[in-house]
Amino acid sequence: MTGSSKPLSVRGITKTYQSKTGAPVRALQPINLEIAAGEFLVIVGPSGCGKSTLLNILAGFGEPSGGEARVGDARITGPDIDRGMVFQSYALFPWLSVVGNVEFGLERKRVPRRERREIAMEYLRMVGLQDFAERGINELSGGMKQRVAIARAFAPQPSIILMDEPFGALDALTRRFLQGQLLRIWQQHKKTVVFVTHSVPEAITLADRIAVMTARPGRIRKMTAVDLSHPREATSDRFRDSERELYAELDEELARSFAVEAGDLIA
Amino acid sequence: MIVIVWQLVIALFRPHVSLLPPPVLAASEFWTLFASGELFVHTGISLARVFSAWMITGAIAIPLGLAMGWSHRFEQIVDPFVEIFRPISPLAWIPLAILWFGIGEAGKVFVVCVATFFPTLLSTIAGVKRIDPVLVHAGQVLGCTDQPSLLRKVIFPAALPSIVVGLRISFGTGWAAIIAAELVAARSGLGYLIANGMEILRADKVLVGMAMIGILGVCFDAFFRFLNRRFAWGEA
Repeated sequence: MTGSSKPLSVRGITKTYQSKTGAPVRALQPINLEIAAGEFLVIVGPSGCGKSTLLNILAGFGEPSGGEARVGDARITGPDIDRGMVFQSYALFPWLSVVGNVEFGLERKRVPRRERREIAMEYLRMVGLQDFAERGINELSGGMKQRVAIARAFAPQPSIILMDEPFGALDALTRRFLQGQLLRIWQQHKKTVVFVTHSVPEAITLADRIAVMTARPGRIRKMTAVDLSHPREATSDRFRDSERELYAELDEELARSFAVEAGDLIA
Repeated sequence: MIVIVWQLVIALFRPHVSLLPPPVLAASEFWTLFASGELFVHTGISLARVFSAWMITGAIAIPLGLAMGWSHRFEQIVDPFVEIFRPISPLAWIPLAILWFGIGEAGKVFVVCVATFFPTLLSTIAGVKRIDPVLVHAGQVLGCTDQPSLLRKVIFPAALPSIVVGLRISFGTGWAAIIAAELVAARSGLGYLIANGMEILRADKVLVGMAMIGILGVCFDAFFRFLNRRFAWGEA
């Protein structure tokens, strides 16, 4: 039942917005990334650095101003069911039940009704929500909603899963629990994951590699591999060392991003 | 309460029975029309007109509203026409309706169509515009990559709570408009019952017609409020 996963390559992607005053705003400087099939890449960076912009381009919601992104050999030109996404605000369909949400992508892939239900239930079991299949979305807590959203994203077997600060709105304990659940699903299915966050511990808990982005206009400042075996204990010395390193990088960028903002205010 | 005031007015002003009959007399006329089935015939005819017009409107205004809410360019093209016709009361269309369709069914259905059109259209547009863009994105990455499937599987259900509100409001405006249309030109319907009561100086008949309009209005509003709650996912 494990579908294929594919490599994702980002080649010289740039993005320039037109601001309200008409002046061009550079959101992304040329970004280059080679993400292996089945790799878990986490992007961290100060807020407003363009990590979400990059993720939206990878999802196909926006065209880059320059460069291109490829999944395997295919150039990304628009949204596709082969690239699933998990959003910070869950984005569940409130008119469908829990299992209806998980079946949505399968239905679009024309999976027959009975099989669709079986697959959806299997993914709901993976996130521990099999007993909530017929519930309405608005009956669920935030953590449960995000578990449904994760099941919904994985169920149609996309090669790539994009996650935009998926646990950003959740409390610390729920967050830890969901990180564990996500890792288990990822290890089982080996999808290529691109995960955006601004939590340093979260990045170290999840990532094969971490890409640190600079302040706006964003580019990749540093790539680090996390050579710790799962499950990673947040209290271990090596975890702490990685945290320290990452914070040092980010602090520098944060200082720069405040300088950029101050510059904007003066201008 | 109403009955007490009514009785009081009669006791104080002593109006002629053809202008304001006592409640007992109105009630007995209600019973007469009820028992003879005449009341049902008129009510049924009025309802049938409103329902058919309301469905025609829904079939036009909902797709149009979806398109206008979804495509900014399409909205810019169509909106000026909508804005010109919107302030014109549906009742102002009655003379034209009579000229074009005579006093047959088509004219009255037409007037109700006009009356129900704008509430339905505007609620549909508002419903589409209020959709969280992230839901659209979610639909796209789950396989709704073309406009028709996106409209059918995401935009329409997401806007449905607002559309149901529009249908409820428009049923109310349609119900008001059909009475007006029947007052002017009809040989049947609740509006006709009222107009006829006036012509033959039978205020009791007029009152029975009015009571029926009020009762049904309340019933339908309650029904739609129930539907609203059923489709209230937009609120939470």
